[in-house]
Amino acid sequence: MNEKKSQNRKETCKGYVLPIGPQHPMYVEAENLMLHLDGETIVDVEVNIGYMHRGIEELMQRRNYIQNLYLAERICGICSGVHTVTYCQCIENLMGIENIPERAKYIRTIILELERIHSHFLFLGVLAYELGLDTAFMYTWRDREYVMDILEMISGNRVNYSMPTFGGVKRDIPDSKIPEILKKLDYLESRAKYYAKVFHSDMLIRKRTTGKGKLSKNFAEKYSIVGPVARASGLKIDVRKDMPYLLYDELDWRIVTKRECDSHARIMVKVYEILESVRILKQCFRKVSKTEKNLKIKAPLRVEPNEALAVTEAPRGELLYYAISNGTDVPERIRVRTPTFANIVKSIPEILKGEQLGDLPVIIASMDPCFSCCDRITLLDVNTGEVKSLDGSELRRMGERK
Amino acid sequence: MIFESMIYPGAFFVVFMSLLYSGILRKLSARMQHRIGPPIWQQFFDIIKLLHKEDIRPEQAKMGYTFWPFIAMISVLISCLLTPIGGTIPLGSSDTIILIYFLIFGSLALYLSGFSSSNPFAVVGAVRGVIQMIGYEFPFVVSIIVTLLATGSIFPADVNSYQTVHGWFAFSFPFAALAYFISVLAKIEVPPFHIPEAHQEIVSGYYTEYTGTRLAMIMLTHSLKLFALISIGIAFFFGGSTSILEFLIKSMILLFLISLSRVVMARFRIDHAMRFCWIFGFVAFIDLIRVCSFF
Repeated sequence: MNEKKSQNRKETCKGYVLPIGPQHPMYVEAENLMLHLDGETIVDVEVNIGYMHRGIEELMQRRNYIQNLYLAERICGICSGVHTVTYCQCIENLMGIENIPERAKYIRTIILELERIHSHFLFLGVLAYELGLDTAFMYTWRDREYVMDILEMISGNRVNYSMPTFGGVKRDIPDSKIPEILKKLDYLESRAKYYAKVFHSDMLIRKRTTGKGKLSKNFAEKYSIVGPVARASGLKIDVRKDMPYLLYDELDWRIVTKRECDSHARIMVKVYEILESVRILKQCFRKVSKTEKNLKIKAPLRVEPNEALAVTEAPRGELLYYAISNGTDVPERIRVRTPTFANIVKSIPEILKGEQLGDLPVIIASMDPCFSCCDRITLLDVNTGEVKSLDGSELRRMGERK
Repeated sequence: MIFESMIYPGAFFVVFMSLLYSGILRKLSARMQHRIGPPIWQQFFDIIKLLHKEDIRPEQAKMGYTFWPFIAMISVLISCLLTPIGGTIPLGSSDTIILIYFLIFGSLALYLSGFSSSNPFAVVGAVRGVIQMIGYEFPFVVSIIVTLLATGSIFPADVNSYQTVHGWFAFSFPFAALAYFISVLAKIEVPPFHIPEAHQEIVSGYYTEYTGTRLAMIMLTHSLKLFALISIGIAFFFGGSTSILEFLIKSMILLFLISLSRVVMARFRIDHAMRFCWIFGFVAFIDLIRVCSFF
């Protein structure tokens, strides 16, 4: 079917077909775009996804709820925190756990917002790289190390934080560490302000991004675009405000929106969201030390037949978990809907039509796609130079130990 | 004579220095980008490694695939040897038109190598390269003509020695010097002009298909182009050079300027690059009018 379609298209347009992907320097992950070009102008695009399929939903049906906690964390290497939190919320809904301790709520919020900052800095770096501005790429990723440091101070890990569990969180944030964390946050805030200035005023960046990859408000509504991409098109949607979870309705922050609908608006939304996240974090850190030191409540191992839904705002947009239980300790079905799926698959061909090939990487990067990340770990012993792979049970042991 | 053309300051010296310059350029931009960067000998390692690699030839490749990289390398090398290096011209004095001819032919041969490899990415890269060429040759040639008219001679050696007496052309013709600098950035394809090899869009551009010895030749051509343009820049705008030490110091300053502009700018789109280059072509025209009316 697909081949036939592309053949027909080949006949109708005079140009040529340029395959972008599955392996291409533009992507971090594998995905395929077939570009039908006329000179440098994009006439048509076919999106073929599925190169990173790992069957995680199927795997989840064979493992118990606690094992799935680690699996959910590894769906995405960048949004690992929000995946676990959403999974936990979903299973808590399933179990009927309504109120988790106040301190656990704060710690979860802190993890989510730190992750948002880290993801947005990563986005700025990727975008600068696609623009051919390697310096901004190096600088943003250097500053991203500061968020990673904070996350490491809190959880002991830079990427898979493994903090939330059913009914609360696993580890506490010691009060003694908070002053140092706040100092690092101040630095991040100043850097985010600097990048806001750079991305707003740099002549070349503006030239490459303003008016490119237009995604109108109507279009965004029609195709259910979510997250920062929708907010850059003037839609005031954010799960944190629309369906508040954790502490987001108690904290003082605002939704960042832009009306320009182009790549530049999408960049600026993300930069300003970093500043909003810093604002949320400062409030959280101020209040977390005043809560009582109660980290989690007991959760049952088996779950009665039930179904539940949890929605959160991941750094890239709305993240949805849906679970059905069958009375055992293994879920009947878990469905994950990531924001990239909502943003990319249907809308990319419409957005790219008529654009120049030179603008393609920037437009795609400004949509911030995330297809998946690696699901295996290789450990390198620095002293002996020995390389070994870790299997699931070992990873789980390590996760519990920390 | 043979020593002068082959060893010092001839082919051997030029190849050595051009690779070293590329290494320094990489190191400088790395430090500016807050990275450690590769060692300055990295280009040597790369070239030596590539020379030992297997040579893969795609089935669809056309005849020129085999020889265009070598022709490109040789013609850019010749243009290097026609520039005054520390007061002497390794191949003996010849006029500027030959020098520019070999330089342009070198770039053209690179793009032809892209066309002959029959890879869609390479073809897009080569088309972009040729389009960009139409852009950058204009300011380049205009700025060179300004200096030639001011000197009243067509020989690079004369332009070189004229400046030691009458002062730097970079100061007397700042617009032409600026246009020259912009065209240098475009010619050596560093940001913001790395459009023909924009790897986020078209993998490696015109040399996507190349491996082994031929890729080494293409990399060497890039380095030699950098050397040739720095050498021309010193001879035509930056006061010329009477000794090799002066040459090296001035080329370090130019390398610093190139790496500075390399790290602060994003990539142009091809149509933006054209417009930008042509604007600087007309900027250089200001000096052309000045030199026609006053000198």
